[in-house]
Amino acid sequence: MSKPVKSQWNFGELFSPAEMRKVLSVSELTGTVRALLEKQIGTVWVSGEITNLRAQGSGHIYFTLKDAGAQLSCVLFSREKVSQRDLLADGQKVLLQGEVTVYEARGQYQLIVRDVELQGVGALQIAFEKLKQKLAAEGLFAAERKRELPKFPARIGLVTSPTSAAIRDVLHVVQRRNPALEIVLVPCRVQGDGAALEIAEAIHTLNAFNSSLATRHSPLDLILVTRGGGSLEDLWAFNEEVVARAIFESAIPIVSAVGHEIDFTIADFVADVRAATPSAAAEIITEDVFASREFVGAAMDLMQLRVRRRMRIENENFDSLAGRLTRLHPRRKLDNSLQRLDDLQSGLWRNLKTAARSRHLVLQNLAGRFLRAKPSLALKMQRESLRQLEKRLISLGPEQVLARGYSITTDAASGKVLRHAAKVEAGQKLKTRLANGEVFSRVDE
Amino acid sequence: MSKPAKAGDPAKGSLPFEEALKKLESVVEAMESDDLPLETLLARYEEGARLVKICQEKIAEAEVKIQQLENNAAGEMKLKPFGIDVEA
Repeated sequence: MSKPVKSQWNFGELFSPAEMRKVLSVSELTGTVRALLEKQIGTVWVSGEITNLRAQGSGHIYFTLKDAGAQLSCVLFSREKVSQRDLLADGQKVLLQGEVTVYEARGQYQLIVRDVELQGVGALQIAFEKLKQKLAAEGLFAAERKRELPKFPARIGLVTSPTSAAIRDVLHVVQRRNPALEIVLVPCRVQGDGAALEIAEAIHTLNAFNSSLATRHSPLDLILVTRGGGSLEDLWAFNEEVVARAIFESAIPIVSAVGHEIDFTIADFVADVRAATPSAAAEIITEDVFASREFVGAAMDLMQLRVRRRMRIENENFDSLAGRLTRLHPRRKLDNSLQRLDDLQSGLWRNLKTAARSRHLVLQNLAGRFLRAKPSLALKMQRESLRQLEKRLISLGPEQVLARGYSITTDAASGKVLRHAAKVEAGQKLKTRLANGEVFSRVDE
Repeated sequence: MSKPAKAGDPAKGSLPFEEALKKLESVVEAMESDDLPLETLLARYEEGARLVKICQEKIAEAEVKIQQLENNAAGEMKLKPFGIDVEA
């Protein structure tokens, strides 16, 4: 055996022998990388934004998850039961659970997605709209299936957190407006993981309780599902399908009051009655009893008023009847008759007197006329009047004038009295009457 | 706290608020009529006063009664008192 001599010229073997090389095929290397990745990394949660999303006809969805500095190929196979599948879109921020592996055919490492959580408010809103559309299409919100609440609920179910402000609000209003209301509480969480399931369970429990009741027990008139205000995430349990289904399936009418006035949840849409707030719900539930309390409070006064009014009317009627009765009494009639008799009697006397007096006057008159009608008296009166006439005649005749020295000259032929000297002609014959006798004369000129 | 019904007056206690209220409403309404004979009016008044008392007793009852429904391990449902201070 020769000892190998180490010479400075001995550089050893410049090339290792061919049989010493470890040569891998591409597949082998890729397989090694894949095994390494799967073993070293395995199942992870990774967050980022979806881009370049491609939904294939096979039902698989391919997309790239990216952030500011890197990209990751992802695939969501159709067999994965991921409820948010329809909500995935470019620009959507997601939290993915999956396994890192290598798609050997392309030498590309990628994430096989097992679960998806949407991130950001926009995502919740999209989820809300999608579920709303789906349930609306199924008829869960149909107006015709909304039930009327019993007018006077005596016993109600309450689904809420036992430590919430909402339960205090509800009890406060109920205490004030209808303290006789009986409440059966099924406590549950109203936010966070699993809250939706608890709410749905509580609704089912109350329904089961109601059907288990013996008939002599008063059943639940309605169920109030409520929680106070909060962020969209806080209220999210009430936007989940399981809650919507539970409300839809409830045999007992449901009142939903989630958040504030502006908050509308899927639960609100499915419920028979939606109230803006827990307090508002409590007011709706107690409304009829509360309103009737006012009526009951006023009823006594109202009835007393009616009775008093009626008594007054009856009194007036009585007074009026009593008056009429007095007027109709027989004595009153007799009195009337006696008075009338008096009237008639005095009238009679008056008439008799008047008649007697007028008769007397007529008699007097007739007697006067009779006396004046004696014939001797008449004759005397005739004579007297004749004398008077004679006197008047004499006084009117010319004799007295003639006696005083006047004369009357007439035309002798015609007898006409002459009044104008101018009318007398020469040779005319005149006759002049004097007091005693006549003178005939002829006119010279 | 007033008891809803006195002993010896079982009918009063068993009349639910809703029915008492309905009766009271119809009594008050009937009393609106002037045609009602006076005796009937007064009888209605008596009845109304009685119903008012029943209604008031029904709604003046105690504090809100709240119970918690529990599903025990055996799957039985049990009601147990639930304590909460409403005014807090």
